[in-house]
Amino acid sequence: MPAATIAPGDLQQLLARVALGDRVAFRQLYDATAPSLFGVALRIVRQRDRAEEVLQDAFVNAWNRAAGYQAALSQPMTWLTAIVRHRALDELRSGARHGAASPADGEGGAAADIEDERPNPLGLLEQAADALAIRGCLDAIDGPQRQCLALAYYHGLSHSEIADRIRSPIGSVKVWLRRGLDKLKRCVEALA
Amino acid sequence: MNYDRPELLDRLAAEYVFGAMSARVRRRFQAVQRALPAAQRAVEVWERRLTPLARSVPPAQPSAAAWEAIDRRTGGQASRAVARATSRFAWLKPALGVAFGVIVTLGLARLYPTAVVPVDEFVQQRGTLPESYVGLLTDDANHPVVLASSTRYGRTMSIKMLRKVDVPPGKVLQLWALPKEGAAFPLGVVPAEGHGSFRMADTSEKLLSGVPRLAVSVENAPARAGTAPAPYVLTGNCVKLW
Repeated sequence: MPAATIAPGDLQQLLARVALGDRVAFRQLYDATAPSLFGVALRIVRQRDRAEEVLQDAFVNAWNRAAGYQAALSQPMTWLTAIVRHRALDELRSGARHGAASPADGEGGAAADIEDERPNPLGLLEQAADALAIRGCLDAIDGPQRQCLALAYYHGLSHSEIADRIRSPIGSVKVWLRRGLDKLKRCVEALA
Repeated sequence: MNYDRPELLDRLAAEYVFGAMSARVRRRFQAVQRALPAAQRAVEVWERRLTPLARSVPPAQPSAAAWEAIDRRTGGQASRAVARATSRFAWLKPALGVAFGVIVTLGLARLYPTAVVPVDEFVQQRGTLPESYVGLLTDDANHPVVLASSTRYGRTMSIKMLRKVDVPPGKVLQLWALPKEGAAFPLGVVPAEGHGSFRMADTSEKLLSGVPRLAVSVENAPARAGTAPAPYVLTGNCVKLW
C-alpha cells in the first residue's frame, strides 16, 4: 500500500511498533512508503544502485531511530522523507568527490539511469504547487528564482552546479535562491 | 560566522534542507547542527515546510534485494526478532544498573519493588526494561561520550562516561536539558570520566517529559537555573524508554 493511500495516523502506529522492534510493522512501513521514498532518492542520485543504497541506509536509520521519532514534531512521511533526502544528498556529494556522474553533468549524464522522460524539476515544482493550491503564489516568484529552487530541491544541485547548468554567475544564483526561498517560505506558511 | 543570529541559522537551514550546499559547506553545517540545538530546530522547521514538495516526485519500485538487505542489516527474520529486541537495549544495561543501585540506596525500592531485581532478571521476567529517561550524548565526530539515565519517577540521574573528556582545570562539565519550548535549564554536573550520579531538582518525569535533547557545556562552575549555557560540546537525544 503506497504512502498516498495510508493515513498519517496509521504510519504513526507503524512507527510506534517499529520502535518496539516489531519487524512485521517494519515491513508494512517499508511496503507503504518505500516506492515514494525510492522515487525521491532516485530523483536526486539518478542511479538505481545508488538510490537503493540510499533507501537501505535510510530504513536502517529509521529502524535504529524509531524510538526517537516524535509525532508531535513531524508527520511520519516528513520524518522519513527528510532521512532519505539528507542521505541522498550526502551520497550525491560523496559521488561528486569520487568522480561519479552528478546531476550537473546534464540530463543525459553518462552514468544516470533516469533520463529526459522524467518530468523536469520545474514541472515537479509546479505540480507540487498545484497539489498544495499555492500555484498562484509560486507563479509570482521570478522565473530564475523558481528554476534555482527546482534544480536544488529535486536534483540536489549545489549553488555552483546550478550556476553551471543555467550558465549564470554563482553570485546571481545565490541571490536568486535566497530570494526564492524567502518567497517560497511565505507561500508554504500561508498554506499552514 | 555568528550562529547566534536566528536569521542566519534560518537561511543556512533552508539551503541545507533544499540541497544547495556544496559538500564542504554541508559537512560544516552538519557539525553546527550537532553542536547547536537551535540549528537542528531550524532544520526541522524547514523539513516540515518543504516535504510537501516531494509529493510530486513519481514513485519508483525498488528491487526485492533492497528489502532483503534492509532486513539483514537490521537483524533480520522473525526467528531472531526476540534476540534483536533485547540486544537493541544491551548498551543501556550498565547505566540502568547504576540507576537501580542508587534507587535502592535512597529507599525508593519500597515504591518500586521491581527495582530490587537485577536489571537482567527484570528484563527477562518482564520482557522489557523499566520506564526510564535515557540520553546518549555524542561529540562533533559523532562518538558516544555520555550515557545519562534516570528512572521515570526517580530524582537521580546516573552518568556513565563512555570516553574521557578533557576538562580545563577549574572548569566543570554541565549537563543541560533542552526542552521543546523555552530555554535550556541545568540538570547537574557530570564527571570527566568513569561513573557518577547527581540528584535532580525534581523527578525525571517532571523535568524531562518535554525534553527531546540533552547537551553538555564547559562551565566555570555548576550552572544555576536561569543562567545561559556556554557553547555545547556534546549533544544528544533524550528518549523515553517505555
